Amino acid sequence: MTSLGDAGASPSLALEASDVWKAFERTQALSGVSFQLRPGEVHALVGANGAGKSTFSRIVSGHLRADRGEIRLFGQATQFASARDAIRAGITMVMQETSLAPDLSVLENIYLPEFGRSGWLSWRRIAARAEELLDQFGQRGHLPLRLPVRDLPASQRQMVEILKALALDAKVIIFDEPTASFSPNEVDRLFDVMRLLVERGKALVFVSHRLEEIFEITDRITIFREGRTVADAVPTAGMRPTELVRLMVGREIADIYARGVAGRGAQAAGTPVIEVEHLAAGPRVRDISFSVAAGEILGLAGLVGAGRSECVEALFGLRRIERGTVRLSGHAFRPRAPVDAMRAGIGFIPEDRRRQGLVQDFTVRENLLLAHLARHRGFGLGYDEQRAGMKHLLDELGLSPRILDHGILTLSGGMQQKIILARWILLAPKLLILDEPTRGVDIGTRSTIYALMRRLAQQGVAVLLVSSDFEEVIGISDRIVVISDGADVTNIPSSLVDVEKLAMFAAPRSSAEATHFVLEELVRRFGGIAYWIFLEGERLYCFDAVETPGAPEIGFGRGTFPEISQSAIPQVLERRAETFVAEAAGASMLVAVRGHRGHDLGHVGLTLSPGRALPDPAEVRRVVLAGPRAQTQVRAAAGAR
Amino acid sequence: MTTEIKTAPARRPAVMWRLLRSAQLELRMLAMLALLSIALSLISPYFFTLSNILNLMDQSVITGIVAIGQTFVILIAGIDLSVGSLTGATGIVLGLCLSELPLPLAIIAAILAGGFAGFINGYIITKGRVAAFIVTLGMMSIGRSMAYVLSGANSISQLPEALGDLASSTIFGIPTNFAVLVVLYAIAWYYLTLTKGGRTIYAIGSNVEAARTAGLSVDFYSILVYVISGALSAVAAVFLAARILSIDPIAATGLELDTIAAVVIGGASLFGGRGTIIGTFIGVLIMVLIRNGLNLLNVNPYWQGTAIGSIIIAAVLLERFLSAREGMRRVEQEDG
Repeated sequence: MTSLGDAGASPSLALEASDVWKAFERTQALSGVSFQLRPGEVHALVGANGAGKSTFSRIVSGHLRADRGEIRLFGQATQFASARDAIRAGITMVMQETSLAPDLSVLENIYLPEFGRSGWLSWRRIAARAEELLDQFGQRGHLPLRLPVRDLPASQRQMVEILKALALDAKVIIFDEPTASFSPNEVDRLFDVMRLLVERGKALVFVSHRLEEIFEITDRITIFREGRTVADAVPTAGMRPTELVRLMVGREIADIYARGVAGRGAQAAGTPVIEVEHLAAGPRVRDISFSVAAGEILGLAGLVGAGRSECVEALFGLRRIERGTVRLSGHAFRPRAPVDAMRAGIGFIPEDRRRQGLVQDFTVRENLLLAHLARHRGFGLGYDEQRAGMKHLLDELGLSPRILDHGILTLSGGMQQKIILARWILLAPKLLILDEPTRGVDIGTRSTIYALMRRLAQQGVAVLLVSSDFEEVIGISDRIVVISDGADVTNIPSSLVDVEKLAMFAAPRSSAEATHFVLEELVRRFGGIAYWIFLEGERLYCFDAVETPGAPEIGFGRGTFPEISQSAIPQVLERRAETFVAEAAGASMLVAVRGHRGHDLGHVGLTLSPGRALPDPAEVRRVVLAGPRAQTQVRAAAGAR
Repeated sequence: MTTEIKTAPARRPAVMWRLLRSAQLELRMLAMLALLSIALSLISPYFFTLSNILNLMDQSVITGIVAIGQTFVILIAGIDLSVGSLTGATGIVLGLCLSELPLPLAIIAAILAGGFAGFINGYIITKGRVAAFIVTLGMMSIGRSMAYVLSGANSISQLPEALGDLASSTIFGIPTNFAVLVVLYAIAWYYLTLTKGGRTIYAIGSNVEAARTAGLSVDFYSILVYVISGALSAVAAVFLAARILSIDPIAATGLELDTIAAVVIGGASLFGGRGTIIGTFIGVLIMVLIRNGLNLLNVNPYWQGTAIGSIIIAAVLLERFLSAREGMRRVEQEDG
């Protein structure tokens, strides 16, 4: 491996940022980050929510201006006044489909930056260039150039966004979570395009939450945490996923979950407050089941877009429930509007504080009392009846009553979030739903929010937390339900799971799909049941399983996590046997699987009914290890057609 | 005990200061109104005569009543272009009903008709998710057309004398119609400031998603404001008819623009959530004063439109400038 970037300003670097600072009103987004990008590399920029990744990307691409700091592009100090300046200098950012004009055609969108140039625009020349561009990146036939962008699915819109950047022939391209809306096929196609670009010496920045993708495509990693660089251009090959997560989250927040305070497990919890069965609402919520008991904190974990927020919005009456049943304290419940849910005793802290939470023109007091106002039956305001409770609550949240008459926007993000929490706690709900309650708030407020959640649970409130921060979910929840692609995948006590395994349950589609393909291939060839598991100590975690009819009963399935001794095939698991071991349930063998960069992805196993002829273990191993590649070949063949 | 005694005097000025600060906009408007009156009284000796002041009061009634409804609508970021033609149409309804029904019932019938038209506006805007501008533009055309159809394009005159009392009588020396106007403003102020419905209207205008997520009855109040606006158009029609005991199908043409101008001069934001009923009242008085002044100064009627238009734009620009500066100062203070 080459050295980790040269010290000082170097002309061999495509982009170099040092000591960049940026503040928004009250929040310090960047506190002196640095970043180094070489030509011909894919560089991962990772960090938790609010770490400053997007702020930094937007500064580098000219959408924002830094307060302080130096940015050098190919050795030259730059300070862009606008995105147009940055584009001229050869740096561009691929946004998350937000910068497209939906009513213009694909062609017009790709060449939108051309509209900003003076002079005559030749449609014929542009159309010819577009065709050429599609050819170059193997996209011909995938994108209809004349169609309005409005009519494209989300993933294709993202591809238009990417082509737009390519059309500019930029030397530095920043991809801001480009795969958020992609299927595995499309991710692979994007990665092919990225590899082509790297071959041509372009420098690429890849911003993503998906660890699998980071390890697959990037050469080096830079990690931001709370506006600072905590890992500077570290080679991806030398980084372990656990270390990456640790660096992203940081050690110092490990104890803010106030674990000592409650520690009551799922067993100790009371009667179920809400029971959700086979809930379907809209395209993103297909089949979700779970229940939350009084005094329990349940975490709904999953990736962005998995359907968690949509699920809880349906429970609060903000979305129509299409199928499934919901019972609240044992009674059938189907809210048609939020006010139904409120009167039934549900509180809801929404995901997007600015859009769904705050009434910007109101004072702190009126924001705090907004839900009271909605529930209040009567003509007047009834503010007085809440006075005592409000005072008590402010005390607990560490807020002075003097702020009540200030405008809500004069408070910091963390304080605003406390007010919205207080809004619902004031109504003493039976069930409190919190959707990403700690996004963009400082550590101090986070620990207050966690302590408050614990206290509410102790008082017998059922708490439902939605979060894509796995560390947080594990830290605060008693039990975790993982949602993936609109369905619940597993239901596991938080004490039995860590961030890595949670990520595998939540299954970044790109890797899970490849493994799933392997499992299908195994049972197609050999029959029986094939599974993807992770073994740790006395326990196994099953992330996926595929079986043929009449397959042997092995004692676990997708989403389960029994102790090895409870399974029907303990011997093979105990020994991590790579050749067939015959047991009462059948003969089984395991194959250890590793990611592209050699990180541990657990085992793929195959169990065949007793008495069946056993295939050659080497053959099984070959199928497992060749699986993803075979899939790529199939796809290549289909593409060539 | 001792702390209470200590804090009480220190607190009072703070409360006063806060009140003054929250009413800053109204105070500025009031200052502008005073300035305008002083200028006019210096220019024209007739301005401060009793008859002119009574005249001013009389002229502010129609615009003033309709501007209340317009304020409600603009507070939820809507707009009601149909108020002028609804005043005309409900006036005709009143005139026709008066030939069959006693006065109070005829008035109620007119108000119901106005409220119903407003309900249709609100229902289509809210449930059909059509832009308020479009729906009320359509209703504006329908209302005027109905006025012609119902009246056979003739004015209805010789309305009962009892109706005229509304315009000509006085209460404690104040013209009845102006007293009614003040009472209506007081009720509207109470409703918008101190009731659940009023605060809900502000919340909807400020952030409709947050209002919905907090469980407020967004749809109900979004429709209600148009019903109020339509009903108040009919109330205005009653006083319009009372003034000359006759009603014409072209009555109150252009009233929608006057009311919108008054609300905006009064400091409301067309994006909703901001504005007060007191501001609107001052806005109405400023509008009436400007018209009155132009008449007193014998400005050519053809030029009056240009003058009024320019003054409206200048007033709002000035207000934006002042509030922007204030906003900036506030941000700086917070950062410091």
